Amino acid sequence: MHTELPSEEDYISDLPQSIVETILTKLPLRDAVRTSILSSKWRYKWAALTQLEFDDKCVSGTYDRTLAETNLVNFVTRFLFLHDGPIHRFSLSTAYLQSSPDVDQWLLFLSRKDVKDLVLELGEGEWFRAPSCLFAFKKLVRLELVRCELDPPLSFKGFLNLKHLNLQQVLIAPDTVENLISSCTLLESLTLSYFDSLELTIRAPNLKYLILEGEFKDICLENTPMLVAISVAMYMTDDIAEHFGQSSSCNFDKFLGGVPSLQRLIGHIYFTKYMSIGNTLRKTPTPYRQLKVIELYQVSFEDMKEIMVVLRLILNAPNLQELQISGSSNSSSASEAPDLDFWEKECPRDCTFERLKMVKMTDMSGVPHEMGFIKLLLGNSPVLEIMSITPSVYVTEGRLNLLIELLRFRRASAEAELIFVQDQV
Amino acid sequence: MSEPDVIKPEMMKSYIWLQTADGSIQQVEQEVAIFCPFICHEIHAGVGSSKTYPISLPARVNPVTLSLILDYCRFHQVPGRSNKERKSFDEKFIRMDTNRLCELTSAADSLQLKPLVDLTSRALARMIEGKTPEEIRETFHIPDDLTEEEKLEPLKNITDDPRIRLLNRLYARKRKELKEKEKLKSVEVEAEHVDDRSVDDLLSFINGENGDSKEVKAPKNKKKKSRRKDQQKNAPPVCTVSDTSSSPNNAIKVSNGVSSVGHDDKVKGRLSNISDLLKFQDSEDEFDDCDDIGDEIDPEIKEQIDREVEDFARRLNSDWPERVQELLSLGQDRRPSLYTVNGNGSSAKRSSSTGLEKHEK
Repeated sequence: MHTELPSEEDYISDLPQSIVETILTKLPLRDAVRTSILSSKWRYKWAALTQLEFDDKCVSGTYDRTLAETNLVNFVTRFLFLHDGPIHRFSLSTAYLQSSPDVDQWLLFLSRKDVKDLVLELGEGEWFRAPSCLFAFKKLVRLELVRCELDPPLSFKGFLNLKHLNLQQVLIAPDTVENLISSCTLLESLTLSYFDSLELTIRAPNLKYLILEGEFKDICLENTPMLVAISVAMYMTDDIAEHFGQSSSCNFDKFLGGVPSLQRLIGHIYFTKYMSIGNTLRKTPTPYRQLKVIELYQVSFEDMKEIMVVLRLILNAPNLQELQISGSSNSSSASEAPDLDFWEKECPRDCTFERLKMVKMTDMSGVPHEMGFIKLLLGNSPVLEIMSITPSVYVTEGRLNLLIELLRFRRASAEAELIFVQDQV
Repeated sequence: MSEPDVIKPEMMKSYIWLQTADGSIQQVEQEVAIFCPFICHEIHAGVGSSKTYPISLPARVNPVTLSLILDYCRFHQVPGRSNKERKSFDEKFIRMDTNRLCELTSAADSLQLKPLVDLTSRALARMIEGKTPEEIRETFHIPDDLTEEEKLEPLKNITDDPRIRLLNRLYARKRKELKEKEKLKSVEVEAEHVDDRSVDDLLSFINGENGDSKEVKAPKNKKKKSRRKDQQKNAPPVCTVSDTSSSPNNAIKVSNGVSSVGHDDKVKGRLSNISDLLKFQDSEDEFDDCDDIGDEIDPEIKEQIDREVEDFARRLNSDWPERVQELLSLGQDRRPSLYTVNGNGSSAKRSSSTGLEKHEK
């Protein structure tokens, strides 16, 4: 214990290793290694780092790709060889290095080091095929893989400590990925990106956060009672669309049937279209009492079914506070549309959005259904504070008419501010 | 010591008492102090509510850093501030001299105030990133106590720059010179003789001789012996040869084993160990010769040596099968520089390899 400065005025070398590690982790790895040259005390401080992040900046810039690849391999290999101590986080993110036996070796080395956090993102060429030692990382809490091929051995029982899983552009058989998810019982956060034509059933009793992006034929959330936030970006190909045409099940129920704790729902691109397949307006088995924020993008207000999806959501979310809808920019500003009398006749009039405070409508084309929807919201939201409307950039004329019509709508909330956003740049 | 605010009846704040290692006691508003987890725990344990039972702060917290920490806490514990405001405060807050910043980091760490540790660490990291070693040493008053060659040891050669490797050799040579000067003062015993011999045997074997390696030994310089001994001490994990070379019998056995080239696997096994040893030692070997002769080396020959060394290093690093081919087929052509030792030493310098076989003269 010393209360005065360390000897010889050296300010920093005698700080505890934990602080030195905190400082070194905030440096790019290369600079951290170079501290070994500062003094005898600093020689091996870098070698005890537990959070390692390798990327293409570790090797000096060169235009020769093979040289860069070799340099990076050498750097990582030597670093690992000289490293001394546990490794908690290993992250490798490179565009140069692709599938290589060196990566297999590194993984084997790391599997003995109780790594808790592994990120592997290799280059675009030949996808890396994960060796079996990847499945021996027993202590893994966080796994992120980009561009690789996963084929777990039959004896693999799951990552029992895994809480965060992020797979992007990963080649894996559908039931394998389902088994992987369900075998990681502690899983709290799941991200699947760029999977093609996947039919997926998710059973994850502790899952809280779900992010999906890609072409999905079918998503069924079978056992996800703890889900708090969902974000889906659904792409569609022609054969998926065809598949939907023939489908008889209700996607809405399959997807949102069992998520009572849901607080936040975000849908992009074809999500509402996906949800509209087989949908009806009947009440959901349990209302979404926790649902506070809904964000839906690319909603086509010309398709009555998509509007029904939106309605069904907001009618079953009694505590909804924030709603953000973005129209589909494909809309033509037709003044005639089918089912225009829906808003007068069929829409439940006595609904009240008791907690709705903020509504933001963007990419509005002024089509009748949009107007009907806005009118519904304005008229049934007693605590509304902001209603923000942003017209679509493709609507050049007719904005004034849009505005005039908006102004006429009756407002249930005296506090409601109607904000018409012009000229977003 | 800070004076408490005039306590108006309508704003009764509670205060707690903190004591730093130097004995001085301060009074602080409770809501500010509990922003530090350490202090919070102590309060829950029942300490700090009166002057007679102040909370003893860890030794790394002195009054100056304590007051800085409390300023930080006082600002950040107010919930209504925007992120922008907080960031702006932080940026101004960390403007202090480096010494103070390091002390502050240490103090914040001992009080478990993680956001402040992160903030100060980031500032310190910014002072290190992208700077040259001299600049960093200057900033933090770090003593420059590594020797030149230590800085350039292969250990640090992570980026595999061939120039650094060459520099390594030069510095290693210097290192040897330094060591040798030291060794001159302490006389070594003849016993090392044996070690050297075995290694030389192997060296000459590799360079084309078969089995007659035993008469290699002319009286050696003590310098070389001791150096060799050091080298071998350094190389134990690498080379099984050095382990077995502790007695004459073993040494010879090994060289015998090696000399029967016919048994491929055994040879390969041994040879690979040897080549590892050689790789480690190649720089030392190179100037062993030089030292024999003192400094009257022809610059031309010196250059030759350097080239040979580099070449050899390159070959060592190439594929093993190719190397075996080479070694077995050539045998004749190389390595005058590897080869050490002659009583007079002069013939070691020969650029053509024939020197090797004839070295017994």
